Amino acid sequence: MTGSTRQSGASDGAEAPPRNTACYVYGILPEDVEISEDAIGVGDPPRRVTIIRHGEIAALVSDVDVDRPLGRAQDLVAHEQLLDEAAAEVPVLPLRFGAVMTTPEAVVEELLAPHHDSFAAALKQIEGRTQFVLKARYAEQPVLVEVLTENAEARQLRDRIRQLPEEVTRNERIRLGELITQIIAAKREADTRAVAERFEPFTAGAVVRDPSHERDAAHVAFLVENDRQAGFERAVGELRSEWGDRVEVRLLGPMAPYDFVTT
Amino acid sequence: MTVAVPPAGGGGLPGRSSGSGLADVIDTILDKGLVIDAYVRVSLVGIEILTIDVRVVIASVDTYLRFAEAVNRLDLASQQPGLPGLLSSAPQSIARGKTKGMVQGVLEAAGDKLQDLRESYAEEPAPRTRRRRREED
Repeated sequence: MTGSTRQSGASDGAEAPPRNTACYVYGILPEDVEISEDAIGVGDPPRRVTIIRHGEIAALVSDVDVDRPLGRAQDLVAHEQLLDEAAAEVPVLPLRFGAVMTTPEAVVEELLAPHHDSFAAALKQIEGRTQFVLKARYAEQPVLVEVLTENAEARQLRDRIRQLPEEVTRNERIRLGELITQIIAAKREADTRAVAERFEPFTAGAVVRDPSHERDAAHVAFLVENDRQAGFERAVGELRSEWGDRVEVRLLGPMAPYDFVTT
Repeated sequence: MTVAVPPAGGGGLPGRSSGSGLADVIDTILDKGLVIDAYVRVSLVGIEILTIDVRVVIASVDTYLRFAEAVNRLDLASQQPGLPGLLSSAPQSIARGKTKGMVQGVLEAAGDKLQDLRESYAEEPAPRTRRRRREED
């Protein structure tokens, strides 16, 4: 397999890459960016990550073999890690996983050139800002205790299930689970709203994500300005200690602004 | 400006500093981000993309029965809300469990099609493998 090693800026290379190679595009950056040689991209083995420049903007790309499937865990992680590392330093418009174009020339002619101005404007907008994702999840036992304490019907169903053999209580168990799901959904709605309001002073934007688990308490992406990041992280710490063992709070980021770039 | 990108950990999943795992990555990069197809319709390559269907079906009988079972196991008498030490490592194992269903599809645009694929699996509690191929030369 001949890896065509393109150097940065070689967008008008005279020779076409081999037919079995295509151009994986990670994201759009400002043109004045360098990428270190040991950056690892998608593919097996991963090819060198390079930069294709056009005007004020550039695309972060690497060659991929077209005859091998993409999407192993390493590919997914490589895609995000590359973009997130870049986003920690420079503005980045992240592409969704799996964007593959035929050639570097096509990246310039069909992606960078026609959309140069809108990409450049978007990069200016997100300059100095990165994304964080807050994932909060109710701990199982505390939230179930809460539900039982607050809801008489749930307590009755539970008692009935305990008294009768399992074979005859399927309906009760389904009803109990449904009730718990509804009550947790109501808690999630309230807690998500509280989280969004609480962090508003520290953030330039918030996007509520779909829950990724039935015990999610909040799943929100925030756009945070770099100079307010410390305050934001401090506020997350306060929330974490406030919620204590009731809710597990995780903060992901800084990452590229996936939730804030829209097509 | 220079972006210093350290090499990703070889082999399995690199331990990300923020403590995110594969499930977090999937939440972020499979249905968020710019969709190239909206800009470019000509020269995308149809590469076979393996993706992992992790859409969580929250309102399902399986979920309900799991909650009921968990409540059944609870011993209310010996517990106060928020009792420390009872927090299981459940989130981790569940996050892993979610990644078992493989959906194979050609990604023409990394985007809507994939989203459709994933949504079409949303009703099915037990994900399975499917393959779709499309030539685009």
